Amino acid sequence: MSSKLRFSSKRFLLTLMLCACSVILLQNYDLSPNASFTFNLICVASGLAICFVLFIPAIIIKSRTNLDFLTVAAVKTPRLKIPIAVFYSVYFIFTAEFFLLPYTDMFRKKYYYDVTPCLIAALLLITCVYAAIKGVNVITRFGIFLFAFAMLTNILMFGGSLGQMDFSLNTFELTGGFPDYIRNTLYFVTPAFIAVLFACLSGKTKNFRIRQTVFALIFTGVKYALVLFFIWFALGAYAQRQEYQTFLLSRAAHFSSFGGIESFYLALATMSVFMIISLMLCAVTKSVKRESDLKTVIIFVVILFAAHACGTYLNSVKEILTNTTVFVIFTAIAAAVIPSAYIFAGRKSNARKALHNITMS
Amino acid sequence: MNNSLSEILSELKADFRNSADLTIRDFTLKSKNNIKAALITIEGMCDKEQLAQSAINPIMSYDFGALDGEEAADKALSSVLASSDVTVFYTKAELITFITSGFAALLIDGAEKMFAIGVQGYSFRGVAEPESEVVQRGSREGFTEPLRVNMSLIRRRVKNPDLVFEQATVGSGSRTQLMLCYLQSRVSQKLLIKLRKRLKECDLDTVLASGYLSEYLEDKSSSRLFSGVGISERPDTVCGKLTEGRIAIIVDGSPAVIIVPRLFVEEFQGVDDYSNRTYYAAFIRVTKYLSFFLAVYLPGLYVALAQFHPEYFPTTILIKTSESLAQTPLPVTLEVLAITFVYEIMKEAGLRIPKSLGHAVSIVGALVIGESAVNAGIISSSTLMVVATAAICGYVTSPLYPPVTMLRFIYIIIGGIFGLWGIVLATAVMIISMCSKTSLGVPYMSSLAPFSLRTMRDVFVRADWKTLSKRIIRVQRFAETEVDE
Amino acid sequence: MRAKLCIILLCLSSLTLTGCQSSGKIETASIIENVSIAEDNGKICYTFYTLTGGDKPWGIKIPASSFESACDLAEREYIPNLSLSKLELLMIEDTLVDKVMKNDIEYISTQPSFSPAALVTLCDKKTIEKFAETTREQNLIEEQLILLKNNNPEVNISYLSVFNNFESDKNSEFTVGYITCGEELSVNEKKLKKD
Repeated sequence: MSSKLRFSSKRFLLTLMLCACSVILLQNYDLSPNASFTFNLICVASGLAICFVLFIPAIIIKSRTNLDFLTVAAVKTPRLKIPIAVFYSVYFIFTAEFFLLPYTDMFRKKYYYDVTPCLIAALLLITCVYAAIKGVNVITRFGIFLFAFAMLTNILMFGGSLGQMDFSLNTFELTGGFPDYIRNTLYFVTPAFIAVLFACLSGKTKNFRIRQTVFALIFTGVKYALVLFFIWFALGAYAQRQEYQTFLLSRAAHFSSFGGIESFYLALATMSVFMIISLMLCAVTKSVKRESDLKTVIIFVVILFAAHACGTYLNSVKEILTNTTVFVIFTAIAAAVIPSAYIFAGRKSNARKALHNITMS
Repeated sequence: MNNSLSEILSELKADFRNSADLTIRDFTLKSKNNIKAALITIEGMCDKEQLAQSAINPIMSYDFGALDGEEAADKALSSVLASSDVTVFYTKAELITFITSGFAALLIDGAEKMFAIGVQGYSFRGVAEPESEVVQRGSREGFTEPLRVNMSLIRRRVKNPDLVFEQATVGSGSRTQLMLCYLQSRVSQKLLIKLRKRLKECDLDTVLASGYLSEYLEDKSSSRLFSGVGISERPDTVCGKLTEGRIAIIVDGSPAVIIVPRLFVEEFQGVDDYSNRTYYAAFIRVTKYLSFFLAVYLPGLYVALAQFHPEYFPTTILIKTSESLAQTPLPVTLEVLAITFVYEIMKEAGLRIPKSLGHAVSIVGALVIGESAVNAGIISSSTLMVVATAAICGYVTSPLYPPVTMLRFIYIIIGGIFGLWGIVLATAVMIISMCSKTSLGVPYMSSLAPFSLRTMRDVFVRADWKTLSKRIIRVQRFAETEVDE
Repeated sequence: MRAKLCIILLCLSSLTLTGCQSSGKIETASIIENVSIAEDNGKICYTFYTLTGGDKPWGIKIPASSFESACDLAEREYIPNLSLSKLELLMIEDTLVDKVMKNDIEYISTQPSFSPAALVTLCDKKTIEKFAETTREQNLIEEQLILLKNNNPEVNISYLSVFNNFESDKNSEFTVGYITCGEELSVNEKKLKKD
């Protein structure tokens, strides 16, 4: 794959949108039970608005320099190269675990009850190594197929649930307090990790427009709203009896006697997690080296696997790695605080010159 | 020719190790200087009658008077040789190339130049419809073995001086001739340079068929499961591809013409699509994609569901499948693998067996292995049906048969070990591998990934001719190609 | 060579450690289609009917105090490869409503391996006896319940609705299907108090 080749920014944002959608796909009823559907819609809107705010520094850097944040940081502050690399490496490993742990947990609880989660994680990570070596461009191409498959799965999942719709199961009333608002909004800010991915990997894209980000977040919001709507009005209280509500939705969906839509859900969840982790590996190698190479990717995969093993067998580690609040704070620092510092501070003339030279080249 | 005629002839004989098919007819021209001359041919490669009429008779009856060797050669070229195809050459290497290609070489003692007279007359298979690419409507002509005949089949369809045939030779031992064929105004120069370089790097000793070259034309880092090199035996298909900026390589002695670059979506396009009504062409296209999917996944999914998720089968199918599988001795994965493998054996036998015995083999296959094995409870009817459906679907997109067969086996094994999850993960890897593949710098999955709406008019559907003819999309114009200009 | 060795080792370890070898194979799995709960000699009995293509239903009667313990016992001692992922109908004898209904349905609703599409209905003793005779009766009851649900939006017995009724604060009572067997089977509605 030619590393010099720049690919469409539209496709990159489509891939990031699919990554953002996987948050609701692996939803484990982290939402406040007191909040109504309408209340949650407001939380979705607020959460995604915050996501957009977190996107702004990366958008500014991309628009000004047409480079990714990591390159800009390396040029502007060569001395801070190592701290920045360490911070982002830790962040990407944390994010990858944030998705990998619920995925293997869901997998064990819902599909193969006897499975060893670590081995499932190991196999998944090995395939991710292959994708990460191929690069971001190829992963975004994969995103196109995943998008088509996600459309099909959503049509089946929502279409199959239409027969069970019952508006008497829940109300459209606006119920929920301020703590519920904070808790749920925080949950809907988790897709902001795509802002960090965008900041770190957007250097390889061309024809970027701000509206692409807006559309990606709007579509993510629509997906969230649809999933919540069907969980509320097709599953009703049944949704609260088990974990992984989107899985339940796909399991309950059926067309006449034809069911088994959860197999589509499994495929979509697997491929989404595969794509997220592959992108994370690309980003993590980008934060350490400019171009991805097998050795670096393997080192990070080993670290990821070790973290996963700890998370699986040590509950305290799992609590930290899947904690939404920690994740959102971490994301806010990675997406907004550090890049903003580079936008507002460090406007040294020699750094700008160097940056200008790179941009021109 | 710096040496004397006798020296050249003895060198030639030595080069050919006194081979029996090297025919040297030496004679003396009617002249005052008694100039010696020789006609060199390879036995069986020249039309003797044509040779007599165009060369032997005129040159032996012509009176060259007091001319010396060089002047006699000039005279022979300008006034004596009665052939439309005479090429002048000067070296022994060229001499060998010409005579081994079926030309007759005329050598005159004392003359520096030599003549190659186009009197090729070897026997070859006539132009016939290719069996592997049969069409309902469209030309019944297919390529044959001789290079020149194949060139004429293309030239007859593209009567445009823009069409270029560029000669090259590959194979240090066989010295096989090949022709690069392209439309000068449409082809990407970068692509052409890349292709010439690849051919130059080809270090084969013998090239007996176009397939030998395919591997050398593939991009190095690309996955080799799917081929980035197209093959066609139809001149109309090749001409169609040339108009899109592609390059055809005609290899002497092979009816299969190479077309590069080759994209995945092309495997689903057929000549008939462009003759049929658009709605029907679209239906056929969708059928082909569905068949490809079934051919690759059906046995694997069947195994995965039967092993891990029987509840996904609809109730009636589940009852019948479980009853029929319960009576067979092998586990479902092994059973599917075994039947698929037996089918491949039968297919190979069917291809190699003499036609007169083919009928007997099909009876044995259908009755003995099929019906009797099911009745005896050795294999289950549902498994047989799944494997047979996948096998038939595999032939709908016949150029993809090799990767489809391999993937089928892979998915059966993965489905049997890891179930549906394994198949999903393997699919992700396969898609990544296909998306990273390039064919001479053009992304193999172009039109789909990278997605391009304007090229989608000829992917899942075939737009009407008014739309298609508005702008021909050249291959270098696909997104993210390395041969864009 | 090293890579190939790694792949082989990985395949072997995956085979043995991932748990894939203990999969529910189609030919050996006992897929349960219907379950009836009835009182027999003062004991609560759970009868598991497997999926069958024949006319005669094949069921195993297991005395137990709850559906959970019946499932455990069945899997341990009677039906080794028990699968309830295709459960279509759960019939409860009307006299056992107070004893088992709430607990059993709550148990079903929390199990991911159970089908969420199962229908739950009450019936009299005679219906349960008839239910054990032919598969035709089982199919008939299912059809009648679906008709009842389709024609009467008040009836929320069919899948998931029962769980919602137990959970919802809005209704103090809910409607379920009730099958009685006179000369012919008849399906009616029955109102039940939530507690």
